Amino acid sequence: MNGLRMTTRGALGLDPDELVACVSCGLCLPHCPTYRVTGLELASPRGRIAAMRVVDSGAAPLDAVFVRAMDECVQCRGCEAACPSGVPFGHLMESTRAAIAPRRPRLRRFVETLGYRGVLAHHRVLVAVSWLLLVAQRLRLVPRRYAATLPRLDMRRLALRLRVPAGGTPDVWLFTGCVMDAWMRETHIAAARVVRATGARPAVPGRGGDCCGALHVHAGRTDDARRLARRVIASMPGAAPVLVDSAGCGAALRDYGHLLGTPEAAAFAARVVDISSWLAQQPPLPLRPGGGRVVVQDPCHLRHVQRDHAGVRTVLGPAYELVETDDDALCCGAGGAYAALQPALANDVRARKVAALARTGASVVCSANPGCTIHLRAAGLEVRHPVELLADALEESPR
Amino acid sequence: MCFPRDAREVQAAVRAAQHHGVPFVARGSGTGLAGGATPLDDALVIVMSQMDRILEIDPRSRTAWVEPGVLNLDLSRAAAPHGLHYAPDPSSQQACSIGGNVGTNAGGPHCLASGTTTAHVLAVDAVLADGTATRIGGARPDEPGYDLRGVYVGSEGTLGVTTGVLVRLLPDPPAVRTLLLDFTSIDDAATTVSGIIAEGILPAALEMMDAQITRAVEDFVGAGYPRDAEAVLLVELDGLPDGVTAQALAIDEIGRTHGARTVRVARDEAERELLWKGRKSAFGAIARIAPDYYLHDAVVPRTQLVGVLRRIYEIAAEQRLTMMNVFHAGDGNLHPLIVFDRREPGTWERVHHAGTEILEACIAAGGVLSGEHGIGVEKRDLMGRLFSPIDLDAQARLVEAFDPSGLANPRKVLPAGSRCGELAGTRPVPEGTWI
Ligand SMILES: Cc1cc2nc3c(=O)[nH]c(=O)nc-3n(C[C@H](O)[C@H](O)[C@H](O)COP(=O)(O)OP(=O)(O)OC[C@H]3O[C@@H](n4cnc5c(N)ncnc54)[C@H](O)[C@@H]3O)c2cc1C
Ligand code: SF4
Ligand code: SF4
Repeated sequence: MNGLRMTTRGALGLDPDELVACVSCGLCLPHCPTYRVTGLELASPRGRIAAMRVVDSGAAPLDAVFVRAMDECVQCRGCEAACPSGVPFGHLMESTRAAIAPRRPRLRRFVETLGYRGVLAHHRVLVAVSWLLLVAQRLRLVPRRYAATLPRLDMRRLALRLRVPAGGTPDVWLFTGCVMDAWMRETHIAAARVVRATGARPAVPGRGGDCCGALHVHAGRTDDARRLARRVIASMPGAAPVLVDSAGCGAALRDYGHLLGTPEAAAFAARVVDISSWLAQQPPLPLRPGGGRVVVQDPCHLRHVQRDHAGVRTVLGPAYELVETDDDALCCGAGGAYAALQPALANDVRARKVAALARTGASVVCSANPGCTIHLRAAGLEVRHPVELLADALEESPR
Repeated sequence: MCFPRDAREVQAAVRAAQHHGVPFVARGSGTGLAGGATPLDDALVIVMSQMDRILEIDPRSRTAWVEPGVLNLDLSRAAAPHGLHYAPDPSSQQACSIGGNVGTNAGGPHCLASGTTTAHVLAVDAVLADGTATRIGGARPDEPGYDLRGVYVGSEGTLGVTTGVLVRLLPDPPAVRTLLLDFTSIDDAATTVSGIIAEGILPAALEMMDAQITRAVEDFVGAGYPRDAEAVLLVELDGLPDGVTAQALAIDEIGRTHGARTVRVARDEAERELLWKGRKSAFGAIARIAPDYYLHDAVVPRTQLVGVLRRIYEIAAEQRLTMMNVFHAGDGNLHPLIVFDRREPGTWERVHHAGTEILEACIAAGGVLSGEHGIGVEKRDLMGRLFSPIDLDAQARLVEAFDPSGLANPRKVLPAGSRCGELAGTRPVPEGTWI
C-alpha cells in the first residue's frame, strides 16, 4: 500500500495493514448478528477491531473482557461482505483466536484437545460418541444448558448407510465431513442420488478425508487444522471436482491455499465447489414442479465467505416456490461450535432469524449447512438441505 | 456508559448525570463524521442502540413514531409494504440511527428535491438537560407557538436526548429512472450540473464522483462504473412516467452538449440498486487507497462549483496530498476527501493545513461549513470564521435557554468563548475527532 509497512508485529501478531484498513465507518454494524441483538459496540465488528487494535499495540491488556468480546463473535463474516474498505475480518479474527488459544484455562484446553483431535478427526470415534450421546439423550443425562443446542439424534439416522465407493478415480468427489456424516447422513444419500441423476459417478474420499478442520481454524487451532488439511488433500487425488454439501466445510476447503500456503493446496482449493453451484452448471435435472413454498436461508459460509449463493436458487427454482427473508441474510447464530459455546447469544440471534423466516410464510426452510440446520431445527423449524429437496422432486428415479 | 431501554431510563440517566454534575452525550450508531458523539471530559455516554422499536406506522396520515435507535434503512423497509419510504437517505443509511439523523439534521442524495431531515420530522420527544421529558412539535402541520422543533433538529445532542421521533413518510414515486453520465474532465461534469439546474430540472438526486473514487467504488461493487472516467454524475429522476421520460431526454442532451462521453440508463431495479450501493459505499471504499481519510462537508453555491473544485485540487497539489471528491452536486454540498497514511511523518500537519484552506476557499465563495454532517468538535473552532461574535452569542444564549447547566454534550458545536465578553480565539481543528 505504501512504503511504510510495519515490520514488527504486536501482542496478537496481527497484520498492521489489515488492521488500519478499518475506517470505523460503521457500515458493517447492521450486518453483525451480535450487534443487532445487543446494541453493544464491543459486540460489533467495528468495536472488535478497535479492541484488537489496542490490545495488539499493547495499549490495553489481553484480559477477560477482551477474550469475551472475541469469543462472542460468531465468525459469520457478515461484516466482511458488507465492508466497503475490504477489511479481512475473518482473517483478523482467526489470528486473534490463535493468539488467545494458548492462554485458555488448562481444563478447557484439555477438553478441547480431546474433542478436536480425538473425536472430530477420527470418524469412528465420532460415531461412537454420537451413539453414546443418543443414549444420554434418551436417559435425559444431557445438561439443560446444552440440551437445546444439540440435535436430537435418532437411531434410524445414525444407522443409515451411504452406498458410495471410497477412493478410486470418480467423476466427482463427494466430501462427507465429520459431524455431518455422523449425524446427517441422509443429506449425503440425497446428494449422491442427485449427482448420479446428472450421470456423474461420485466417490467419497479415501483414508484420512474425514474432517476439514473448519472448527479447528475457528477455535484458533491452526496447527491441527493444517494437519487435517494435508490428510484431506491426499484423500482425494486427481483433478475431479470436490463437491461439498456443507457450507462450513466448503469454506474451509476453499481456504486451504491460504491455510497451507503451497501451490498444491491452492490447486486443490480451486477444485472445491458447493454442490448446488456445481449442479447449476450441469444440464437441468428432470424435476417435478409444484413442490411448495420454501424459504432459502443462506449459510454465512456460503454467502459471506464463499460468496456463492446463486446456485441454490437456480437449481431449486424449477421445482419450488422460493422466497427470501427480509433481513439481509443476517446470520442465524449457529456458527460451528458457537451455539454450544455461547448458548444465550446464539439463542437471541436465532430468535431474530426465526421471526424473519416466519414473516415469509413458508413452512419449509432450506439450508446448506449442518450447523445452521441443527440450530434451526432445535427451534422447531422444518429444515431441509437443497439436495434433499432436489432428491424429493426428482422424477421417477428409484431410491 | 449506559444503554437505556425507554424514555424513563433515559430520564434517570440524565438526572443521575445532573446530580453528580457529570456531562452526558447521546450516541446513536456512532457513524457521525464530525465527532459529535465523542465524549469529552469523561462524559456519561447514553447509547440509544437498544431503543430500536418502530412504535407505529400510520399509512393514512403517512407518519411513523419511532424510537431513536431505529436504523434509517430499517424504517424505510418497514414502511415499504405500505408503498411509503422515509426520504432522507444518508449514504450511511443502513447503519445510522434516526436519533443521530435528527441530531445532525442528516441529508442524503435524495434530499435534493425533498429536503433534509428537518423537513421530515414532525415532533420529537426529548429529555432535556434538567431531566424533564417533553414533546417538541406535534402531529399537526402548523403547530401553534415557536417552531422549537426546527431549533432542536440539528442540535447535535446539545439541547437534550431524543427518546422518540414522529417522522413523515413519503409515497413511493410511480416512476424512477437512474442515469449515469461519464466525463473526461471534472469541469465538464460540474458545468453539466449547473446546466441541469439552469434548465429548471430538479432531479430527485444528483451526485458526482471523481476518477479515484469511481475506481475504488467499482472495485467493491462491480456495478460497471467506467474506470477511465475523470468524473461521473449519477442522476435520479422520479415522478409520473411521462415527465420522467421527458426529463431523461433533456438530461441526456445537456450532458452531451457539455462533453459527456456516455449516458447510461439503469435497465432495472437491480442495476439501479447496484449503482447506488456504489455511491453509498464511497467513503468506506477509499480505505482501499490509503488507511486514513479526512473529510469536509462544505456547501457552496452551485454556480461556483467549477471554480471551487479547481481551487480544491490546487490546494491538494500544493500540499502534496491525494484529494478526492464525492458529493451531492445538486445542492453544491461538497465532500472533499483527503486520503493519507498517518503513519507517514509530517502528513497530519499538511492535512490540517489543506483542510482549513479548503474551508476558507468555500466560505470565500459564499459557502457554509457543513451541509449535513454537523459541526461537532471538528468544525467547532471554525465557526468564528462564518459567524460574527453577535451571531455566536445569540446561539450560545439559545443553548443556555435549553440547558443552563451546560452538561448536555458540552463543548460541541460552539467554540469556547462564544458568549460575548469571553475570550474568543480561533484554534486549529482538534486532532482525533474524525470518527
Ligand atoms: C460512510 C458514511 C457516509 C455518510 N453519509 C452521510 C450522508 O450522506 N449524509 C449525512 O448527512 N451524513 C452522512 N454521514 C454521517 C452520519 O452518518 C450522520 O451524521 C448520521 O446522522 C449520524 O447518525 P448516528 O446514529 O451514527 O449518530 P451518532 O454519530 O451516534 O451521533 C451524531 C450526533 O447526534 C447526537 N445524537 C445521536 N443520537 C441522539 C439522541 N437520541 N438524542 C440526542 N442526540 C443524539 C450525538 O450526540 C451526536 O452529536 C455518513 C457517515 C458515514 C460513516
Ligand atoms: S469493518 Fe469496514 S464497514 Fe466496519 S467499520 Fe471498519 S471499515 Fe467500516
Ligand atoms: S463475523 Fe459476524 S459476529 Fe463477528 S463481528 Fe463480523 S458480523 Fe459480527
